[in-house]
Amino acid sequence: MNVNLTVNGEALAVEVPPSTTLLDLLRDRLGLHGTKEYCHSGVCGACTVLADGKAVSSCSMLAGQVEGADLITIEGLTPEEGLHPIQQAFVDNFGLQCGYCTPGMILLAKALLDENPAPTREEIIRYMGGNICRCTGYAGILRSVEAAVKERGSWS
Amino acid sequence: MCAATSPNVTRLVGQSMPSLEAPDKAAGRIEYMADLTVPNMAHAKVVRSPLPHARIVSIDASEARAMPGVVCVLTRDEVRADPDVEEVYGFVYRDAPLVAMDKVRHQGDIVAVVVADDLDTAEAAAELVDVEYEELPAVMNVPQALAEGAVQVHEEFFPIAPELRPIEGTNVCHHATIGCGDVEQGFAESDFVYEDEFIAPPVQHCALDLHAVISQVEDGQITVWTNCQSPFPLGRELERIFKIPARVIIPYVGGGFGSKSRDRIECVITAAAKLAGRPVRYIFSQEETFMTFIRPAYRNRMRTGVKKDGTIVARHNEFWVDVGGYAISGARSANNTLKVATGPYRIPHARVDCYAVYTNKPPSSPYRGLPTTQHTMSYEAQFDRIARDLGIDRLEIRRRNLVRDGDIHITGDYLRSAHSHECMEQATEAIGWDEPLPVDPEGKKVRGRGVSCTIKYTLTPAREMSENSAEVALGEDGIFEVRIGTVNIGQGSDTVMAQIAGDALGIGLDSIRIIHSDTYRVPVDSSTTASRSTYHMGRAVVEATDNLKPQMLEAASQLLEREATSLVFTPDGIAQANGDAGVTYGELVERVGSPLAATGDCVVGGSYQGPDGNSYPIASTFWTFGSCAVEVEVDTETGTVRVVKAAASATTGTAVNPHSIETQLEGGVGQEIGPTLFEQLVWDDGGQLINAALLDYPLPTMETMPDYAPRYVDHPFEGGPFGAKGMGEIGAVVVPGAVVNAVYDATGVLFHEMPLLPHKIVEGLEGQG
Repeated sequence: MNVNLTVNGEALAVEVPPSTTLLDLLRDRLGLHGTKEYCHSGVCGACTVLADGKAVSSCSMLAGQVEGADLITIEGLTPEEGLHPIQQAFVDNFGLQCGYCTPGMILLAKALLDENPAPTREEIIRYMGGNICRCTGYAGILRSVEAAVKERGSWS
Repeated sequence: MCAATSPNVTRLVGQSMPSLEAPDKAAGRIEYMADLTVPNMAHAKVVRSPLPHARIVSIDASEARAMPGVVCVLTRDEVRADPDVEEVYGFVYRDAPLVAMDKVRHQGDIVAVVVADDLDTAEAAAELVDVEYEELPAVMNVPQALAEGAVQVHEEFFPIAPELRPIEGTNVCHHATIGCGDVEQGFAESDFVYEDEFIAPPVQHCALDLHAVISQVEDGQITVWTNCQSPFPLGRELERIFKIPARVIIPYVGGGFGSKSRDRIECVITAAAKLAGRPVRYIFSQEETFMTFIRPAYRNRMRTGVKKDGTIVARHNEFWVDVGGYAISGARSANNTLKVATGPYRIPHARVDCYAVYTNKPPSSPYRGLPTTQHTMSYEAQFDRIARDLGIDRLEIRRRNLVRDGDIHITGDYLRSAHSHECMEQATEAIGWDEPLPVDPEGKKVRGRGVSCTIKYTLTPAREMSENSAEVALGEDGIFEVRIGTVNIGQGSDTVMAQIAGDALGIGLDSIRIIHSDTYRVPVDSSTTASRSTYHMGRAVVEATDNLKPQMLEAASQLLEREATSLVFTPDGIAQANGDAGVTYGELVERVGSPLAATGDCVVGGSYQGPDGNSYPIASTFWTFGSCAVEVEVDTETGTVRVVKAAASATTGTAVNPHSIETQLEGGVGQEIGPTLFEQLVWDDGGQLINAALLDYPLPTMETMPDYAPRYVDHPFEGGPFGAKGMGEIGAVVVPGAVVNAVYDATGVLFHEMPLLPHKIVEGLEGQG
């Protein structure tokens, strides 16, 4: 089947078998390896991407479901030079160790801050509670998101 | 050569800095195993046993082989037909055939490997492999495996490590004992003797970066890419099995926690690649990892004799570890924790019996601290029972018994940097131990506090290979390349080694490049396990720089035509002490015309001369002491336990990267909250694992996160690189004991079984009422 979508600002038309997941489309067809796979059941959030600004588990969506959508992956969030302020906050605040959950966590934080520019700690915890990290115990991730919230005025 | 002595200035060591690779990780630019490909690569699907224990009557792979796109199918027939392939894997315990030969020993055991041009074809063809099984009685837990007349999982035993001692004719693949004093005399001298039994079920590590392998066998040479934690032992095992040279390359690894330390899959996929005649890639599914390597089921029966004042006189631990169908890792892991089963306490009469038992569960592997975690839960929970029974304060009874610097451990080791008291005081102070507990106005939720103390060993000596080396080379670009076998698994090892190398050479991070874990590019190292890398690899790096410096001085001396003694090292090059022109590092290597490189070794084990002049054995190169204090809230209606605050403290030696230490402690605590409160693998009566999918297996999330307050005691450790030692596991090890005790404090019920599931809490509270 043919799917039309925008990925990181680029309009694409791709021909894929109907059973292709969005994750496979991104990783295998488009070579966007920053999107990760673990549970393949929509639980862990390693495969989180933004579809029309909302955080979705790309392993649990078919490519056909994102027809016409505007997708952002970690590659699309990263500026040509340096890092996005949320990414920089994760680096500065030790919000990552092995780094495998990190792209999904950062995109989830981006969705949160787009929806709610000044979330409370409780709101951050509720929103970010859907993604799994096995290394940090989440403390560094919470510090990173809170730091990004503080810097929120400096970027859009 | 006074100019060649290591500068004692630390400018990088002691600084908190994010890991060198953190920006690339935040940008999603780091390549993990699943992101790697090689040209002409085929894809593998593993045919796994659906049964926990069965004899293989026949395997018919003809339909699968006939399917278009299928390259080959590896079964026992192909393995047996190849005279240049050894059938059985295992560098600690050699009991795991590459693929099942006569029988399968656990659900998920490897029966065949289907290789095809693409993964969809491999998966479809795997469905066509027809295996006829004759089901055998299965022993699914230790009591069943030890029962009279139980079926034997293995008829013969093949221990490789010399300390492993099976009991013939049983399912006990290893039994060992250590002790000191006379434990029966100790019990006789005790005022009171307490006996308890503690149990903990298996869990899985859930490292998000799935275990994966690419293997290529070409021109008599094996090349394996894998996210294994032990590249050099794996390389040697590949060379033993296939009788040709093997190179092992490890990319960045997305967590392991022990799950990737010893699996046989690299050898299996290499056999498939050899048969296929082209590179083969295999990536586990999350479900398959649950049937491959798990933290073992654990049981501990513990007797402790005390005086009226709470002083421990005697302790006897017997513990059983369920190693599953293969002991390739579990038997030695269990044996290693003999050293720490009695805890960080002065005990004149002690004995520990360790039993590693075959069952038909998946094989067991280390899990961040091995059974030290469960040992700690056991002796700490019993200690709170004793304290309450004797009417002694919980901290006071520990103060009366905790080891101090210079004590002799049960192993005979002379304990150095044994700051166990400081750890406990730091942890309890950090959570406000003496402050009043909040009271729920509705009376439904009760709070309590608990503490635990522990002692953890490191892998000593480095068993598979006694040498642990690093190489430091000055390249033409003026950059010092630090070549290490340590696997960067997310723990920050590249950064710590760069800090250590930088200070040893007196140079900045900009002048250092880390090359890690490629067995053809770095010198030998045993493994990235057991909190060992900072100490062992750090020491090897320092020694390599010490060996490199005289070479550099000699070269500079010839170039500048000056005595070496008149030269000094600077961050940019070698200068003349009198201020005359020197030479930059880049110029030095360029003008010498060949690279300057040196290796350094860290050999451990043997004995140690104590301050009293006596010789003491080294059962562990260093011991890490730790403590954890927690505050919990128990909902007495639902039975839900929430860890509100958690402060873990550890003896770290010099803190090389302090904030990295704090985040390791936070991560260890956060991870172990899962097995403490809600994680467990469950098998039904037919021996089927029923919750192998993440949908049925809850993990800690940001919502279960406590307020952390990590602490550490950073007295420099003599012999460590700049005084550092290891601490990667300790944050996890101390959690269950502290939580069990906090629940005891809150409810008056002492739970003897992990995890503390809500229904068990409710039952416990009802039983009390």
